[in-house]
Amino acid sequence: MSEEIQVSVRGEGDVTVIDLIGDVTTFAEEAINQAYQSASADGAKNIVFNFRENDYINSAGIAILIGVVTEARKRDQKLLMTGLSAHFQKIFRMVGLTQYADLHPTVNDALASVNGEATAN
Amino acid sequence: MAPQSNRVVELRIPSELGYEKIAREAVATVAHRLNFTKEKVEDIKTAISEACTNAIRYGSGSDARMKVVVILTADEDKLDILIKDPGASGAPPIDIDIPDIDGMVEGKRRLGGMGLYIIRELVDEAGFVEAADDDEGNQFRMVIYRVEDTKTESSPEASASGADNGGSP
Repeated sequence: MSEEIQVSVRGEGDVTVIDLIGDVTTFAEEAINQAYQSASADGAKNIVFNFRENDYINSAGIAILIGVVTEARKRDQKLLMTGLSAHFQKIFRMVGLTQYADLHPTVNDALASVNGEATAN
Repeated sequence: MAPQSNRVVELRIPSELGYEKIAREAVATVAHRLNFTKEKVEDIKTAISEACTNAIRYGSGSDARMKVVVILTADEDKLDILIKDPGASGAPPIDIDIPDIDGMVEGKRRLGGMGLYIIRELVDEAGFVEAADDDEGNQFRMVIYRVEDTKTESSPEASASGADNGGSP
């Protein structure tokens, strides 16, 4: 009973946005990793994972994201996450994922954060 | 509409990842009928998803010929959830560790092993229970009280006492 997820990559200035539509479970591993590798191959330094608020995320999906965090640290990339429901924001904090990826309500908020830091620098 | 007496819903799902979503939807319906808050319903949905996923992956080796049984019992005070699997991987784990995300990120720990920890944090009681003599396999029980007077969201003492039989696959 495989579950489909739609993953797409788009550029927003200096930021790469990976849009995730569908369940983030073990079935999403290949699609998420391909999108991340594609963004990295294009030189992405700031990557936003944009979730759809009501989709299902389980611990296997979180493990996939931790794998991305591992790769991103090696490449000195900044990860941000947007669109998460309050419930999944809580889960991400619970497991410690927010130590490695900033949470923002929307993509625009994440872009403002990145651009604000760039201006400050 | 709150139930007047015990209401029992029993599901038998194939041991195949993805079918845990059926349990997730069923428990959401029951929890709504018990007037749990929206956030608590989300907690329960996540907890049952993780428990069923464990039952599928570890309790029956993702063998779709096997079944995972989910029994939801709703009464005036609580929602009681029992998940039975064939016990294909032997005895369930004993300890529930806090996920070592730093170790995972540094490549020192394998990715995963977070399910039971998440469950323990989200429900009032959780842990493996002893099966009846004529019942083989593992049984994992979770209880969520309608009035949260036994545990606050951030009480480490309460969460630690709620899962003393559990373990982290």
